[in-house]
Amino acid sequence: MASVFTAPPLADNGPGYSFKQTPTTHISADGTRQHSFYPYTDNGGSTLGISGADFTILAGDTRSTSGYNINSRYVPKLFKIGGEGPEHTGSSIVLSVVGFAADGDALKERLDTVVKMYKYQHGKNMSVAACAQRLSHILYNKRFFPYYVHAILGGLDEEGKGALYSYDPVGSYEREQCRAAGAAASLIMPFLDNQVNYKNQYIPASGYGHDLQPRKAELLPRNTVEELVRDAFDSAVERHIEVGDGLQMMIITKDGIEEVYSPLKKD
Amino acid sequence: MEVLLGLTGKDFTLVASSKAAMRGVTILKATDDKTRELNKYNLMAFSGEAGDTVQFAEYVQANVQLYSMRNNSELGPAAVASFVRGELAKALRSRSPYTVNLLLGGFDPITQKPTLYWCDYLASLAQLPYAAHGYAQYYCLSTLDKHHHPDIDLEKGLKILRMCSDELKRRLPIDFKGLAVKIITKDGIREEDWVDDKQVLPA
Amino acid sequence: MDSLVAQYTRPAEQQEGYFDEDQLELSQGSPQLSLKFALPPVANSSAWLRAMTDDYSNPNCPIKIAHGTTTLAFRFKGGIIVATDSRATAGNWIASQTVKKVIEINSCLLGTMAGGAADCQYWLAYLGMQCRLHELRHKRRISVAAASKILANLVYNYKGMGLSMGTMCAGVTPQEGPALYYIDSDGTRLAGNLFCVGSGQTFAYGVLDAEYSYDLSDEDALELGKRSILAATHRDAFSGGFINLYHVKEDGWVKHGFNDTNPIFWKTKLEKGEFSNVTSELV
Repeated sequence: MASVFTAPPLADNGPGYSFKQTPTTHISADGTRQHSFYPYTDNGGSTLGISGADFTILAGDTRSTSGYNINSRYVPKLFKIGGEGPEHTGSSIVLSVVGFAADGDALKERLDTVVKMYKYQHGKNMSVAACAQRLSHILYNKRFFPYYVHAILGGLDEEGKGALYSYDPVGSYEREQCRAAGAAASLIMPFLDNQVNYKNQYIPASGYGHDLQPRKAELLPRNTVEELVRDAFDSAVERHIEVGDGLQMMIITKDGIEEVYSPLKKD
Repeated sequence: MEVLLGLTGKDFTLVASSKAAMRGVTILKATDDKTRELNKYNLMAFSGEAGDTVQFAEYVQANVQLYSMRNNSELGPAAVASFVRGELAKALRSRSPYTVNLLLGGFDPITQKPTLYWCDYLASLAQLPYAAHGYAQYYCLSTLDKHHHPDIDLEKGLKILRMCSDELKRRLPIDFKGLAVKIITKDGIREEDWVDDKQVLPA
Repeated sequence: MDSLVAQYTRPAEQQEGYFDEDQLELSQGSPQLSLKFALPPVANSSAWLRAMTDDYSNPNCPIKIAHGTTTLAFRFKGGIIVATDSRATAGNWIASQTVKKVIEINSCLLGTMAGGAADCQYWLAYLGMQCRLHELRHKRRISVAAASKILANLVYNYKGMGLSMGTMCAGVTPQEGPALYYIDSDGTRLAGNLFCVGSGQTFAYGVLDAEYSYDLSDEDALELGKRSILAATHRDAFSGGFINLYHVKEDGWVKHGFNDTNPIFWKTKLEKGEFSNVTSELV
């Protein structure tokens, strides 16, 4: 009977194999069983964020996978943080998480509670800078049992400028202009480097060889950023199996959070 | 912790190798020569698996000499490098590969140019202005990146080699018993009287 | 009674939702930088953590933690030079080219970051907090020796748990003058004149050792720091991005820019003729 449970479901990588790493059971000579502890799975998908002069856009696809199975075509990876009640009315901070969706949910709940408690106790909204630092500490508090997530936090800073923070699974963080995370990060991030920070772009005819002047990065207008986000995801869907179905975008401006959903290819 | 270093200049090639022969935690000899003269203008320095090194070097040495006897002409540095790489590659695909890393220092008597070839045990060959094997790569390449120029004279070359040797003495945790230094010029191969008694300590 | 309680109580790890203490913590707003860490419910938590996060021993590990790379600091007559690269890697993926690896603990103390990015950020922030508390309690700034010892003792408490950090504390105080300490996650703490830390350390040492002297001028010292990092970014694939330069002087530190390595490299090569191994022609 033991062999039935120790074998991975179907053949390795066969159709319907839904976990990259399945729990294994070791039975030692004295008959004691030790089950390995693997509390993670990768739910795929990708997110990205870009900040501008007076706005920040966060986006994520809505596909949820496990292994080669698609579990759902609409599981949001973007969450409003703070604000009033379950609808987060009046909130101006958005958290995006990719990786293990359950850890992402737990993280969102924790951060949301912290931000709400802050308002009850101090009578004012938490700044994004403070929220960003707090998120780092929440992640680091699980340094020895990490959240399997790559988080991006977006909002507006105290001067009203777009603010974007990205995190590793254990809480190292940095404020950036743009960041892609998740399954298709390696596809999207180079595109963003080139199109947002103008990396490896030069001003034509500005000189020969080493005198060629690099193109200076500037803050992009909102409609350009929205187009970049769409292009990035349309391209990622073409080349990554874990990305697709729907695109959820949240645009944070001084007027609050606008949420836009648009379809992506569903194959 | 075997050290192999090589660098070229305007009219010379320097090849340096550590003098310690190590087996496990023991130094068996402090005056080891990890080089072989292949012909008048070609010197090969080697490091790697004990036994393989000398076997391979002397095999190559014999065959280079055999070639010149049969054909009544010396092999130039590029030809020697290609031959050595070929033999190493052939052995790599046999039942008994040689685990040997090499530096081939030479002087081309036709073009009158110094040459240096770097070859690892997987038989990847590269001609370089300066090269190193083993831990010397980590400690000396940045020094060479900064101080080397293709048109330096011998005095400057030895000065740069001294900087490298000092850095190794300063930072390598195991004593490699100093360097044996050989110089290849238009007059052939000679050994430099390398004074190695100074102690060097970190700042 | 006990058996009754036992019947209706579940072990902590099976409890759903927030634990009581968590709830208390959330409502009271506990200190943000806390020393209470969640642990996985297994016997050997450090081995488990290693299996999950150590991409060196297990390249297929699910959680890849960002790592830092080449950093250096040296003491000279004009104070202390601190220089770092800015690349963070997770496996072969370059996670960021713009990491700030010099952490400004306060106006007179700097920390550097090599190893786990989160470990360094968190613990140096914690150190900053302890330094401020020392100031408030004793009405004078903490010495670099004491600050570095707080950090060394702290990480020693977590030895074997999987922290990974190689850091330098550089600062000036009236009592000790310019002081430089190396601290790593093994618990080592060393005072010294010159340290390079990270996967590119040997390359930085190669340039720095050859030209280091205590009597360097400010300009020469800054240039040497920058050139040593450049050497490391050239030879070590895990180093790159930008060169972050700081000078610690008697009245606090001064920042000397965050400059892209690529133009510096070409300037160095073309104007000084160094890096003769790089050719622009095809052979």
